[in-house]
Amino acid sequence: MHVAGGCPQVFLKFLIAVLLWSTLGTAYGSVRSEYEVKAAFLYNFTRLITWSEPSEEGARLTICVFGRDPFGGVLQELNGRVSQGRALELDYPASLEEIDRCQVLFVGAGKARDLAEITDYAHARQILTISEIPDFVEEGGIIGYVKEGNVIRFEINLLSAQQAGLQINSRLLELALRVIR
Amino acid sequence: MSDHWRWQYWPLRTKLLLLTVSISTLGILLVCTSLVVVENRTYEAQLESELHVIADILAEQSAAALLFEDSQQIKTIISSLNQIETIEQVCVYNVSGDVMSALNGTGYEPCPSLDVEPEVGFVGDYYRLLEPVTLDGDIVGQFYLMSRLEVLREHIWTFIVISFSVGVGIQVLLIWVASRLQRLISEPIVELSSAADRISHEHDYSIRVPVYGKDELGSLGSAFNEMIGTIQQQNRKILQSKDDLERTVAERTSELSLANRELEAFSFSVSHDLRQPLRAIEGFGQALEEDCRDQLDNTGLDYLARIRAATVRMGSLIDGMLVLSRVSRQAMEIDRVDLSAMLAEIVEELQDTTDTVPSEVTIQPDMQVVGDERMLRIAFQNLLENAWKYTSKNEKRVIDVSACEERNSITIALKDNGVGFDMKYVDKLFVAFNRLHTPAQFSGTGLGLATVDRVVRRHFGRVFAESPIDSGACFYVEFPRPERGAESGLQQQATRQNRREYG
Repeated sequence: MHVAGGCPQVFLKFLIAVLLWSTLGTAYGSVRSEYEVKAAFLYNFTRLITWSEPSEEGARLTICVFGRDPFGGVLQELNGRVSQGRALELDYPASLEEIDRCQVLFVGAGKARDLAEITDYAHARQILTISEIPDFVEEGGIIGYVKEGNVIRFEINLLSAQQAGLQINSRLLELALRVIR
Repeated sequence: MSDHWRWQYWPLRTKLLLLTVSISTLGILLVCTSLVVVENRTYEAQLESELHVIADILAEQSAAALLFEDSQQIKTIISSLNQIETIEQVCVYNVSGDVMSALNGTGYEPCPSLDVEPEVGFVGDYYRLLEPVTLDGDIVGQFYLMSRLEVLREHIWTFIVISFSVGVGIQVLLIWVASRLQRLISEPIVELSSAADRISHEHDYSIRVPVYGKDELGSLGSAFNEMIGTIQQQNRKILQSKDDLERTVAERTSELSLANRELEAFSFSVSHDLRQPLRAIEGFGQALEEDCRDQLDNTGLDYLARIRAATVRMGSLIDGMLVLSRVSRQAMEIDRVDLSAMLAEIVEELQDTTDTVPSEVTIQPDMQVVGDERMLRIAFQNLLENAWKYTSKNEKRVIDVSACEERNSITIALKDNGVGFDMKYVDKLFVAFNRLHTPAQFSGTGLGLATVDRVVRRHFGRVFAESPIDSGACFYVEFPRPERGAESGLQQQATRQNRREYG
């Protein structure tokens, strides 16, 4: 901004550039909000992971948020979208017993203490567990978000996924920051 | 010289060879060209499918990375294409059309914008393809690939060089084979042609051509042989009959000339011998008239006068016959004759000796003919005497002599204003002893025009006459005029004639 005073024309150009950047920015990952990216990732995970348990035709793919919802309404955009031929559906189970109907379980940060119980319960029911809790994959979760500088990446615990009977596309594994095998 | 380069002068074998060679060249060219075109297509299709396979694989590999917008991963994936040298540019776009990652070859060129559909397929020196990256049927991005076509071009050039070298090789072989095979057709024709040439130049009808096979050429050869055989036979017959004919003609000629000689000798001696008694009759008639006049009465004197007149007429008849005989027998001495001068002399004599009718004679100056002067003088004397005679009853005599020269002949026209003759009898005009007027009208022997005809004929000319009613008569004498060496030509003819008649 210190350039502005000296040369109004350069300032004008800079302003236009900034405006353009910000308008274009909405479409770019780098300037999207963290949870927008995470929500998009969540959707993409469902597209690259296969549930071996055969589900009946037209069955919905239920994404559950367990605990406090950090997405702030961004997830609502996923509602009704289709992944691997199944319509997505959002759910917010209150207790562990209610997660039976879920296929994807986002574990909120507040559930960090009950993590082992939750993952065991979920993996027994072939539920994909995702969380942004640090070291989530080391604790037995399947996919964990990792923030590397400003970039959102993810880690995968392949062992847990195999225990849960989930098949993870090798392409997804290639993209993961770390894979626990 | 340049004519010999023209198609019609080319020998048959060259034409045949050229025909074969041009057809085979055309065929080989067509085959080579179509091979090249097909090879180009095939290679293009192969290249296209290879590139599509590569693009499919890479697109499939980069689908997940596109989902997570992991450009680093995409770069890793597409960097494998660095190994393919011909790939100029690879661009991977996300679903909204922004470049996620790019790989540039030798020349740096930004990835094309997807706002407008980029050109794909074979364009210029590049092959471009753009295909969507899909995941579960959803388009998650676009994969763009641009490849140079050097390899294709090199391959096609090599292919062209090889196929055309093979084509040239085949062509050389074909020329060799064609040059051998064309002999099958050209040789019999060439032999036929040279045989025909030889026959026409040497007149040797014993020449035959060899007959090859049973096809059209074979039948042509045997037909030619048969034809020449027939010609040979006929030629022999013709030569034989010509010999016979010549012998016969020679025999007849000698017989005829013998007879002619006898006849002319007879006619000469008769005419000559007739003079003797005629002179006796005339002499004694005169003596009778002079010495015994008193003893004869008027009737007797009249008879005597008639006898004497008849003897005079007979004398002139005999003279005419002698002249006719002489112009027929006499050897010719050919020379250039000044006809105008000769005619003037004759006219002068006539004016001196005959009647007193005023005469107007026009003679075209410088008329020249070639012939025997004595004979021509006899002929023209007869013609002018006739003109004089038949105009003697006019008040005024008008005679006009003119010449009309053409390329091969000269025609002398003698025109008078006399009584003329009846055109009905024009055929009898030049026959001996035929007279169109009675002696009472005009005297004459009937031998004059026959003598003229005889003289003109011996000069290889012709004489004819016409008489328009009431405007006199016109006689035409036409002499041939050999263009070069006129004298010698006529001389030779005359010599031949003389020899034939008296030899």
